[in-house]
Amino acid sequence: MKAPLPHPALAQRMQIKDCWALIRRLLFEARNTLVDFQWKLGMAVSSDTCRSLKYPYVAVMLKVADHSGQVKTKCFEMTIPQFQNFYRQFKEIAAVIETV
Amino acid sequence: MAAGELEGGKPLSGLLNALAQDTFHGYPGITEELLRSQLYPEVAPEEFRPFLAKMRGILKSIASADMDFNQLEAFLTAQTKKQGGITSDQAAVISKFWKSHKTKIRESLMNQSRWNSGLRGLSWRVDGKSQSRHSAQIHTPVAIIELELGKYGQESEFLCLEFDEVKVNQILKTLSEVEESISTLISQPN
Repeated sequence: MKAPLPHPALAQRMQIKDCWALIRRLLFEARNTLVDFQWKLGMAVSSDTCRSLKYPYVAVMLKVADHSGQVKTKCFEMTIPQFQNFYRQFKEIAAVIETV
Repeated sequence: MAAGELEGGKPLSGLLNALAQDTFHGYPGITEELLRSQLYPEVAPEEFRPFLAKMRGILKSIASADMDFNQLEAFLTAQTKKQGGITSDQAAVISKFWKSHKTKIRESLMNQSRWNSGLRGLSWRVDGKSQSRHSAQIHTPVAIIELELGKYGQESEFLCLEFDEVKVNQILKTLSEVEESISTLISQPN
């Protein structure tokens, strides 16, 4: 079976070896389905290493189910610019999936 | 030992750079002896040690308070006036250093204070419709998204997720709610 190529724009931006590493991961790594997406907007004010942090962040908690139905929780944080990139990428995905 | 040995200029600029790498960016192997031998070889170790401690303390104070340029000027002026403080040449070098490295140091401090995983990368592809000779079922398009997550100083973990079009649009709706919250927060006065 021929391995499908990644998204053309993505492939152009990557080195060939990175491209194949991504393909191997996408083809062979177990895929999960999203069960729940929870979020909160926080503001880091101060810490022991920095008295004046003052940055907002988006904290996300994902509940994902693997192929056996087992659910696990994954948490991560994004700065505002990272969130805006995350949102932009989802808009791109929506635009592409609509045309397929 | 001439007082001029510990003046500002190129060695101090290099020292501040190395201190930032060690203190904020987690670069390993930057020792006191390495710094002295590379940047201030004419200065005796017992004289270099307190000087290094003073510069590290000043840099940490500036970074911890996330000083703007007015605060920085006031702070450095005060340092030049106090006993055992800094010279005005050294103050000028420190000021120039903070102005050009502030953003990167702040980013490192933000990363250090985040104890959850951060989002390091996102890759995706969309698989198209397919049909089987033996089945009438047509598979709907699916988006495969790979999130690269990782805690500060630790290796990445990859999470691979599958979404159909309905799910993608549900997520988009949620993300628009997040964006609305961010806009509300930013528009509020401090």
